[in-house]
Amino acid sequence: MFINKAMSRRGFLKGTIGGAATLAGLQMLRFRRVAAQSGDEDPPGGMAHAGPMDGSPGQVGFQMQEDDPHDPAKILTDFDTGQVSTLPDGRTLREYEIIAYDREVEVAKGVTFPAWTYNGRVPGPTIRCTEGDVIRVKFTNASVMPHTIHFHGIHPANMDGVFEVIQLGEMFTYEFEAQPFGLHLYHCHVMPLKRHIHKGLYGAFIIDPKAGRPPARELIMVMNGFDTDLDGENEFYTVNGKAFYFQDYPISLKVGELVRVYLVNMTEFDPINSFHLHAEMFYYYPAGTSLAPAEYNDNIMLCQGQRGILEFTYRTPGRYMFHAHQSEFAELGWMGFFDVTE
Amino acid sequence: MIEQQPSVPAAPETKGRSMISALVLTVGPLLLLAGVIVAFLNTSAGLGFSLPVPVEKLDFEHVQVVPDGFRLTVRNAGQDPVTIAQVAVDDAYWHATIEPSPTLARLGQAAVIINYPWVEGDAHRIDLLTASGLKFEAVVPVAFESPRPTAQSLWGYTLIGIFVGIIPVFLGLMWFPALRKLNRTWLNFLLSLTMGLLIFLGVDATSEALELSAQVPGPFQGIGLVTIGGVVTFLLLETITQRQTRARRSEAAGRLTLAYMIALGIGLHNLGEGLAIGAAYVVGEASLGTFLVVGFIIQNITEGLAIIAPVLRDRPGFKHLILMGMLGGAPAILGAWIGGFSYSPVAATLFLAIGAGAVFEVAYEIARLMRADKLLASPLVNLGGITAGLLLMYITGIFVK
Repeated sequence: MFINKAMSRRGFLKGTIGGAATLAGLQMLRFRRVAAQSGDEDPPGGMAHAGPMDGSPGQVGFQMQEDDPHDPAKILTDFDTGQVSTLPDGRTLREYEIIAYDREVEVAKGVTFPAWTYNGRVPGPTIRCTEGDVIRVKFTNASVMPHTIHFHGIHPANMDGVFEVIQLGEMFTYEFEAQPFGLHLYHCHVMPLKRHIHKGLYGAFIIDPKAGRPPARELIMVMNGFDTDLDGENEFYTVNGKAFYFQDYPISLKVGELVRVYLVNMTEFDPINSFHLHAEMFYYYPAGTSLAPAEYNDNIMLCQGQRGILEFTYRTPGRYMFHAHQSEFAELGWMGFFDVTE
Repeated sequence: MIEQQPSVPAAPETKGRSMISALVLTVGPLLLLAGVIVAFLNTSAGLGFSLPVPVEKLDFEHVQVVPDGFRLTVRNAGQDPVTIAQVAVDDAYWHATIEPSPTLARLGQAAVIINYPWVEGDAHRIDLLTASGLKFEAVVPVAFESPRPTAQSLWGYTLIGIFVGIIPVFLGLMWFPALRKLNRTWLNFLLSLTMGLLIFLGVDATSEALELSAQVPGPFQGIGLVTIGGVVTFLLLETITQRQTRARRSEAAGRLTLAYMIALGIGLHNLGEGLAIGAAYVVGEASLGTFLVVGFIIQNITEGLAIIAPVLRDRPGFKHLILMGMLGGAPAILGAWIGGFSYSPVAATLFLAIGAGAVFEVAYEIARLMRADKLLASPLVNLGGITAGLLLMYITGIFVK
C-alpha cells in the first residue's frame, strides 16, 4: 500500500529494518495477512475534528531567536531596496550584499533543517528596485560548497551566475540594469542544481515599473518545501520558511485595503505548487510583467520558477484561510490565515 | 605417576600479603581499563569519530487503535536522546500528546497519543519526525479498535488459550488407557516419537525466536536474549530434574518427575505459542482464527501424548494427569493474554527462547530416562520413533502454516 522509499543517506543511518516494527508479532506468526473486516459496528466516532486547525501541530513551539533572519513574518514584508546612490549618467545605483552560508534553520515547530542560505534565511532577501536602475549585488560565498546567484530577467551572459562559480571565501559582484519590470527570482545555479535549490538558495527579485503600482499592503510569499530526511521528498511545505507559521500568527489585513501578494514558487521535487484564497477572488498578473491582469481567480497553479502578483481586497471582516490547493501540501504545512478587521 | 607436591601452609602474614597482591593484580587491569576509556573519550585517540548528522533510531513497541485515535509506544533505540517534534498521520501533520516527554533518553520510552478520526478497515500510516527531521514510520494495516483488557476480551483470549493449549493436551492425555496396553518395544517407540515431537518444537521455537529477535531494539540484543533464554532454561530444568531424581527413591517416581518436566517444558512452549496467537489477534489476523485453532488442536494433541509417554507403565493417578495437563496447556492462556494486551518483541523473543530451551531439555531427559531405565533402546526403534515424531509434527504443521 505504501511505497517503499529508496534508500537514503539518512534512512541508512536510521538503520531500521523496514519501518513497521509495529507488526513485530506478525512475521513470526503462521498466518497470512487478512482482508479488512467489514464493519457494521459503530463507526469510530463521536469525535470532533481534531486536526491541526486550532494552532499548528508540534510538540514544542517555534524555537526562533529574536534576531533570527529566518523569520516568516519578517520575510513577509522585508523588501531590500539596497544602498541607493546616483551614477554620473543620472541612473540610480542600488547596492546589495548577499552572503551564502550554511546553518540550521527551523522549518516547523521543533524541526531543524541543515540549510544552505543567502543571508541566513530561506528564502533569501527580497531584492527590490525599479526598472532601469543599475543593481550591484556583492556576493560572498562563506559556504563550504561553491555557489552562484542566477537572476531571472534580462542581463548579460557574464552576469547570469552559471559559469562563474564562486568558491568558499571568494567574492563576486553581479551588476546589470534591472529589466523588465515584474516579479522575478534568483537562485544558485551550481550543479547538482536540485540540491543547491532544495537546500535553500533562492529568493524573490522585484523590479517595479517606473510609474510604480497603486498603493497597497504588499506581501512577499515564497512557496517552498523542505526535505528534512533527505529522501528526495518534502516533509514540509511552507511559505517563507516555516510550516503552518501563518496559521499560528495570522496576517492582519484591513477591510477595503488593496492587498498585493508577490508569489514565487521555488518548491523542489514536486512539479507544481498552488495558492488558493478563501472567500475572495484575486486579479492575477503572471510574472508581474504586465499592468493588466490576466486572470480573475481564487486559485492559481505555478511550476517551479513561475511567479506572479495577486491583488485582492477583502470586503468583510473575519478569519480567512489561504493555502496550497494540493490538500496534501496544505496539511504538510502550507496553510495560513488572514485576520481581516475593519 | 606424578607425585603430588605436599602443599606448605603459608605463614599468616605471607597469606595477607598475597591477598593484597592478588587484589592489586585483579583490580589493576580494571583501573587501567577505566583510564584508557577516559583517555579515549577525551581525546578520541586521534580517530576523530563524529558524524555530520545524528544517528537516531526510534522503535515502535506497540501500535494501538483506540476509539478516538491512535496510541503508540515508542522506544529510543539509538545512542543519543531523541526529540519527537512532529507527528503526521497519512501525510498530514496532526496534534499529538507525548507522555511523559517528547524527548526520549537512550532506551527511554514514550506514549504518543493522537486524536484522529481513523476509518474502519482502512490502512493508516503514522510518521514521527524528530527534531533533526528524520522520519520513523508505523503502519496500521487494517484499522479497527484494538482489543482492550475488558472482561469480554479477557474471556476471549482465555478461550483462545483453552482451545490451543488445554483442550488438545487433555485430548492427548486421554490416550493413556489405550497406550498402557503397549509392550516395551512400542513404549520405546512412543518415547522416541515424543523426542521427535519435542526436537521439532524446539527447532521451530528457536527459529521463531531468532526471526523475532530482528525486531528487538538494538541495545536489547535479540540474539543475546535468545541465547540466554534458551541456555539458562535448559540448564535450569536440568538442575531441577537432577535434584528431583536424586530425592526420589523409585524409578517410577523418576518417570513421574520426567512426565512433569515434559509438561512444564511443553507449558513454557505453549506460553510462547499463546503469545504469538494473542498478538496476531491484536493486529487483525483473527479471521483465520477458526482454521488456525483447528490446526493447533491437531498439532498440540501430540503434546498430551508426549506428557504421558514416560508414565505409561505406572499408575500416576487421575490427579497427576489433570495437573500435568494443566501444566502443559494452561500457560497458553497466559501467553494469549500477554500477546493480546501488552505485546512486545522483547518479551515474545524471550518467551519463545525459554520455550525452545525447555523442550530441548525435556527431549534430553527422555533420552537419559531411556538409557537409565534400560528400556530396550534399539537404534532401529529409536530411528523409527524419532522420525515418526518429526513427521507427525511436519504433517500436522501443514494445518498451521
